[in-house]
Amino acid sequence: MTAPGTAPAPAGRPGGLVRTVARTHRTALALALLVLAAATAALVWLHSLTDEARAGHSACATPPTDRLPSCAAVDAITADDTYTSGLSVTVTLLSWVMFPVAAWAGGALTGRELESGTARLAWTQSVTPARWLAAKLAVPAALLTAGTGGLVLVNVWARGDADPDLAGDWYYPDVFVSTGPVAVAYALAGLALGALAGLVWRRALPAAGVALAASLLLHTFLERHREDLWPPVTRTEAGSFELPRSALQVAWADSPVNGVPLTRATFHPESHFWPLQYVESGLLLAVAAVATAGAFVLLARRLP
Amino acid sequence: MTDTAIEAAALGRRFGRRRRPALDGCSFRLPAGRVCAVVGPNGAGKSTLLALAAGLLRPTDGSITVLGQAPAASRERLAYVAQNKPLHPQLTVTGTLRLGRDLNPRRWDAGAAERIVAEGDLDPGARIRSLSGGQRTRVALALALGKRPELLLLDEPMADLDPLARHQLMATLMADAADRGTTVVMSSHVVAELEGSCDHLLLLGGGRVRLAGPLDDLLAAHTLVTGRAGDPLGPHTVVESRTTGRQLTALVRPTGPLGDGVQGDRPSLEEVVLAHLRSPDAPPLLLDAREAAV
Repeated sequence: MTAPGTAPAPAGRPGGLVRTVARTHRTALALALLVLAAATAALVWLHSLTDEARAGHSACATPPTDRLPSCAAVDAITADDTYTSGLSVTVTLLSWVMFPVAAWAGGALTGRELESGTARLAWTQSVTPARWLAAKLAVPAALLTAGTGGLVLVNVWARGDADPDLAGDWYYPDVFVSTGPVAVAYALAGLALGALAGLVWRRALPAAGVALAASLLLHTFLERHREDLWPPVTRTEAGSFELPRSALQVAWADSPVNGVPLTRATFHPESHFWPLQYVESGLLLAVAAVATAGAFVLLARRLP
Repeated sequence: MTDTAIEAAALGRRFGRRRRPALDGCSFRLPAGRVCAVVGPNGAGKSTLLALAAGLLRPTDGSITVLGQAPAASRERLAYVAQNKPLHPQLTVTGTLRLGRDLNPRRWDAGAAERIVAEGDLDPGARIRSLSGGQRTRVALALALGKRPELLLLDEPMADLDPLARHQLMATLMADAADRGTTVVMSSHVVAELEGSCDHLLLLGGGRVRLAGPLDDLLAAHTLVTGRAGDPLGPHTVVESRTTGRQLTALVRPTGPLGDGVQGDRPSLEEVVLAHLRSPDAPPLLLDAREAAV
């Protein structure tokens, strides 16, 4: 109902909704930014330790020779321990982003709103429930993509060409998740699962619990079956051989055939990092898409 | 603009297959510009009816149209205040009103909303969680009126207000509604609070419409009869009759002149409502259908 002559505000502009989502979830936004800043600072600091850490992990000799420093001197350097444990904490946190996101999305983003009735308050303003849900998902999704993606880039930069002995190999579960696009996909899947749980349970606490449980299940399942997501390389040779450095071994068999010792190794070389990342990201994004579609269908079925 | 605010046809809503329907076969028509009271005992279906009109529930039977459209299509033109007055506890009063502005970009009247908040001496910077129930009601009403609705749906709006605030807020509400010709539908089980402000009545009981129509017509259709026990009430429709000793008191819908020796009085709204609540089997009286046909 707009009087002729007055210019109607464009209905398609979602600015108001975006502002509303940001305002109602200000605490979560502030907390997320704080964590992002702290993690970035920690990674920058760890990066500055790289050279020292390498020195603390180098080969040594007692007594020292021309080429090798003395073992006592190398032992005295503690930067490598700090570097290793610091990196392992940050990559673990980065690979667990999904869990707090899922619990928050189920609890605060949708569950609490439906429980307290503030969702109904929004639906009786001038926005449709579908647009409300779209904004509720799109705003955190955009921020999560930017934040997690940025942190992954900082993480990759901070690790540099880090010694796998110090920083962990590419196939370590936490390292794998936190050094590629799959980190973002995990965060988005957590968001979608949480939002769906909130709409299904309509109460904050059970929704947060269910979303967290579903995320744990998904995370564990993918971690356990990561090596099956891309066909591994099989190498069969007479006698024994060594796998290349940084290969993820899937299976190893020594079996003599006709009296000749034969070794058969199945493994993922480091070059499989990207295909594995893409497949896992694809699966997670598919989960996120299905959960999002489910949330919209549920909302449309429940409301006229 | 249509002249019908709400029209329901055989409207029904069931929650779960085994439970009694919350609303069952409700048909009524509410003309625009009225202030309608929805009364009934607890569990009569008042909140369900308001949620259906607000487009928050899907009818399981029949249909309801609001302002000539489906409720979901009229979203922008109606305002709804739920019984528990949900608001975001972490926002301030100003933040809550800003939310109204952001979510109703084409309708928001900041002045009207701020006036209602100011009348209650509320600190605009106070967080919603720090407000009392009554103050929260005031903010919820400010949010609803700031939208400049054509239809205002209020579910037990005054339940947690003290008598003074109730009086004040009701006056604000009525003045605003009269100024803009807003249709107001308000549910309550306190009948006394409605008598001075409403001109239309919808009495629900057991999920059905018991009484519907303009208040004056409904009152005029009933007579409070006092006489001696044993007096014939003749052809009139008896809603309720009670005898105490030799005294007979009855609420009837007269179909002709009352007999000799019986005295007829005009009942109050409360007497009509209570008589109907006490006799759930009294036949319904729907005066709005006739009006719709004119």
